[in-house]
Amino acid sequence: MLGVPGPFPETELHHPLDRRWLHYAFLSPDSGHALISNLSVLGAEQPDDGASTRWEPQRMAILLVFDPVHGWSSSQFNAVQPDSPWSAFRVPHRHRVAGAFPVAAVAGAPAVDLRLFRTSRPCTSQCAPFGYDQFLRWQSEPGVRGSGTLRTAHGDVTCDLVGYHERVRGRWSWPVLGGWVFGFANAPSADAVGPPPWSVVFTLIQPRYPAESANGSVMLWREGRMVRHFPRRRLEVAVQGELDRDRVVLVPPLAAALATAPAPLVPGRLLITARMGADWLVLDFRPTTAARIANPSETSLRPFSVHELLGRCTAEGVVSGRRVEFETGGIVEFAGGAHD
Amino acid sequence: MTETGTAVAERAPHTGARLLAETVTALSQRAPAIVAAAADQMRGIRLALHFHDGSRATMTVRHSRLVVEPDLVGAPEVEVVFDDRAMNLVFDAQRPPVEQVLAQSLDVRGDRERVLAVWRAFTLLSQRASGLRFIQQLWRDYREQAPRLWGVIAGDGAAPLSPHGDVPTGWHAVDFLAARQPLEADEDGGARALIGGTVRTAPRSLWDGRRSSGWWETQRVGDADLVETMRVCRSRANRQMEDLMPDREPKAALYDLMRSYPARQGKGLRPTLVFAACAAFGEKPENAVRAAAALELFHNGFLVHDDIADESTHRRGLPTMNAEFGNGLAVNVGDGLNLLAVDAVLANLETLGLARTLGLIQEVMHMCRESIEGQAMELGWIHDRTVPPRDEDYFTMSTKKTGWYTCISPCRMGAVCAGVTDPAVLNRFDEVFRLIGIAFQIQDDILNLVGDEALYGKETLGDLLEGKRTVMLIHLFRTAKAAERKRLARVLNRPRSRKSQADAELLLAAMREHGSIDYAIDLADRLAAEGIDRFENDLGIIPENEGKAVLRQIAHYVTTRPL
Repeated sequence: MLGVPGPFPETELHHPLDRRWLHYAFLSPDSGHALISNLSVLGAEQPDDGASTRWEPQRMAILLVFDPVHGWSSSQFNAVQPDSPWSAFRVPHRHRVAGAFPVAAVAGAPAVDLRLFRTSRPCTSQCAPFGYDQFLRWQSEPGVRGSGTLRTAHGDVTCDLVGYHERVRGRWSWPVLGGWVFGFANAPSADAVGPPPWSVVFTLIQPRYPAESANGSVMLWREGRMVRHFPRRRLEVAVQGELDRDRVVLVPPLAAALATAPAPLVPGRLLITARMGADWLVLDFRPTTAARIANPSETSLRPFSVHELLGRCTAEGVVSGRRVEFETGGIVEFAGGAHD
Repeated sequence: MTETGTAVAERAPHTGARLLAETVTALSQRAPAIVAAAADQMRGIRLALHFHDGSRATMTVRHSRLVVEPDLVGAPEVEVVFDDRAMNLVFDAQRPPVEQVLAQSLDVRGDRERVLAVWRAFTLLSQRASGLRFIQQLWRDYREQAPRLWGVIAGDGAAPLSPHGDVPTGWHAVDFLAARQPLEADEDGGARALIGGTVRTAPRSLWDGRRSSGWWETQRVGDADLVETMRVCRSRANRQMEDLMPDREPKAALYDLMRSYPARQGKGLRPTLVFAACAAFGEKPENAVRAAAALELFHNGFLVHDDIADESTHRRGLPTMNAEFGNGLAVNVGDGLNLLAVDAVLANLETLGLARTLGLIQEVMHMCRESIEGQAMELGWIHDRTVPPRDEDYFTMSTKKTGWYTCISPCRMGAVCAGVTDPAVLNRFDEVFRLIGIAFQIQDDILNLVGDEALYGKETLGDLLEGKRTVMLIHLFRTAKAAERKRLARVLNRPRSRKSQADAELLLAAMREHGSIDYAIDLADRLAAEGIDRFENDLGIIPENEGKAVLRQIAHYVTTRPL
């Protein structure tokens, strides 16, 4: 009666490379814990034997929990997830109304049992065609808050979290997609239920071809509303140094057991400048630890590595005449490396 | 670097000549691959340098070493005169040459081909050394201590102001990175990286609004600070050994004594090779820490037993275990160290899993077998009172006795820690480090004859007192006439307890007379050069990364070692 529920309908994934990713990344400002989870669906594939029924879409989930004392722990790609996981993008969600988000490794740890709620509004951060027939649409929402239990082999911890949620849909494969750099930061706030005073999200995708298909964006939220979008021509991204190998943990556990091929070192520092008219923003991110998620690639021999980096982020700038300046914890992804 | 170069550094105040000498000295010790590459370009050229402050220096090449002498020595083939503007250009590489090199600011004279060779050598030195932190610090110190050497920066190089305020960075992300305080490796309270982090790389752009460059297209890491890397690796391996030491009785007669040799600071070559080889194959260096500790424990166990067999009195500047506590306790301490080493290898089961631990056990078995076979060969020669006639006999003995556990096995074990168990890959280390290891051992033997005991750490002429069959001794017995050979053999074959310092000096004098030491220096250089060639060819399968950069510096260490 009211049409398709929500802004992003649950359309079928037709192609074997059609994908839908729901991504969750949270930091606990008080305890230093972090969690990252990716729930993915890969499109149904027609069996070779001529059968009329398609295989079921492939659903995978991974959960990483970072403990400041014991470091990273990770599930395999078969973490147990709800049939309909919490997502701001599935149906319209009211602000400050919490929903359950339980994800757990089959082995029992790591596991999270959280109540998540929105404080901000989403935005499309990428709408990108690349390769010959591939594309993705990437929708982001910072300022998501939550509370609950994080479980690792070292015990349970209950904490409040603030972070980021995204949904990416499209049809892509590696190494065509090349890689990306993405990250977010929510400015610290004493208000445990309201939106962060400032939030920033940046994306840079770097497909292998065509040459001009690289695309980037920097977006700034104030009190839960996006106040500035710096488009691709108006931003620059630079890196320096390397995060030494001893600070990078290979996950999931099976990847280490299988002696997965090494990945290039991730940068030791990331700096982004964005400028449009009188508005400008500088983001300076310095990672302290990283988990390298080695994703099997469906189209190449080398794994596609998504490095989840935790570190400190400083942001400064001026937007609409208002000074922006904060330092906080941030999460950055350096993804790529499936090419030979 | 040479004594003369060191002398320049000690005598002169902050001058251009001293800065050159100190730069070359530091590079020879800490990044020898750079010096070797520059020396390769400048071979056969005598270069005279005049600096703005009136100081002068002469640079030549001896083997693969750059030799800096104070003032002008001999007739130069190429002559360079720097003025302050040229020094600014060298210091401030970001400034376009046109702003600094004005007419007559850099006067270069000489045959065109040789001038170009010198230019290539200095380009190599400046390009590869400028990122090294210790070189940056050295030049920064000189710029503060002797500003007149640089003069006034010409031209207005001020960049447009940034929205930051008065910070002249321009408005590019890479400029911001370059202008902002660089992140030090240990700034966040963590430990310095075991491998890597000694070279400061320039910022690079991933996206400038139009062009994209993947973050994974990493810059080639060709060099490393060897001294700093070895210090960190040695310290990490020592910490691991301390963790492995049992906290139980008998302490005074066993466990405290087992700490004695590891506590005597060695160079840290073996643990560095283990960590670097592990990193070179893309694995975390920390995963190799138990293997590195195991190697050091085996090594120290061998040293204790070796000192008993050789009746040595001093080790790393202190009395040997046998000299201080007697052979009985010393044998037991050596056994204890070897047992603890086995424990360290097995401890990898928890972290690396069964396959890699089995690989490590296989490597350790091989290493121990080679070592005891080498020891048997050498002791057999001494027992039989024979001096082998061919250098190849020495090569075989040296490779077995020290080459495997000093160079080859550490590399192979590091690779195994990274998950490499394919013999075709592991064997690629063998010939490279066999050659490097022999060259290193010959140099060690030379230093025992001509080196400073305080620097070398072992008793001078100890090898002659022990009757070690070195290349110099083999050469001496090969070239001496029969009568002299007979006389020398009588001295050589006296038991150590009956051999005097005068006996050792007599053998040394004969070696000098027959050119045996120079022969050995040349031989070590040839072997080292061949090893370097093999390094670049055989290990081409390893990607250029921070681990391989350290391995390369170690391979080159033998080419620039002061003799």
